[in-house]
Amino acid sequence: MIKYIALSAVVFSIGAYGAIARRNLLIVLMSIELMLNGVNVALIAFARHYWDSLEVAGHAFVLMVMAVAAAEVGVGLALMIALFRTRKTVDAGELRELKG
Amino acid sequence: MTEIINDVLGDPVFAICALISVMGALTVVSRRNPIHGALGLMLAFLAFAVLFIRLNATFLAAMHVLVYTGAILVLFLFVIMLLNLSREELGREYGVATKGAIALLVAVMCGLLLFAIGKDPDLARPASPIVDRVLYPGSAQELRVAEDGGAGSKPWGGVDHVGTALFGRWIFPFELVSVLIIVAILGAVVLAKRKLPPES
Repeated sequence: MIKYIALSAVVFSIGAYGAIARRNLLIVLMSIELMLNGVNVALIAFARHYWDSLEVAGHAFVLMVMAVAAAEVGVGLALMIALFRTRKTVDAGELRELKG
Repeated sequence: MTEIINDVLGDPVFAICALISVMGALTVVSRRNPIHGALGLMLAFLAFAVLFIRLNATFLAAMHVLVYTGAILVLFLFVIMLLNLSREELGREYGVATKGAIALLVAVMCGLLLFAIGKDPDLARPASPIVDRVLYPGSAQELRVAEDGGAGSKPWGGVDHVGTALFGRWIFPFELVSVLIIVAILGAVVLAKRKLPPES
């Protein structure tokens, strides 16, 4: 079971790298999806490991995470379209209004 | 450490899927073209679905393919094609030094995580096999679950099992998710229709 948790940690770390080190907002959103997926693998592995509690909290939680991920992508991509229509860029580094 | 490597090599399905998912994830974070990233993301998602089946989560494997590969990824591809970014519009990326520093930071974090995981004695033992159990005994939702689902019982992690748990113990969070999705739909419609004020 340890291998599934280790894979989850590796995928989460790769996603975290992408979310921090890339400036293309599309890639940042995809990296966040990767992080959520890494967590999903860990949740399902734990659900199988401690299978004796039959209310499968891990599985229920993964379904919630999927709904949250879908909502997040919907709103994120809508923001990106609104942004691209006015600024003609998807580069997070060029959005500096909040810098003062 | 050696027993973990033996464990991985003794399970070729896991080894192949783990390799594919890590390579897909690296494609997402390393390629400049978002289309390549989306295809790498698809590879990783499909490999994860196989791993879910290995962990007896058959219903969630189906949901994962439907929601992630079928909906989220298609949405990404739609937006990539809708924006139709040229090479200049992709924007600049950070330099090699910044990226290297962030990669080092993330690698240290990953190493710490793996160290903590390796220290856990509870995770080191193999998962115990699933035997016959009864969910909500004596109530109207009573359900017998077992690993293979033979002889009057349903498979553990199958649609009957997860559905019974979801509409029993987890009904309140499930209903809250519907509120979240309605808010997200309204937010997406309002945001995509609005024109942001031009940069001053």
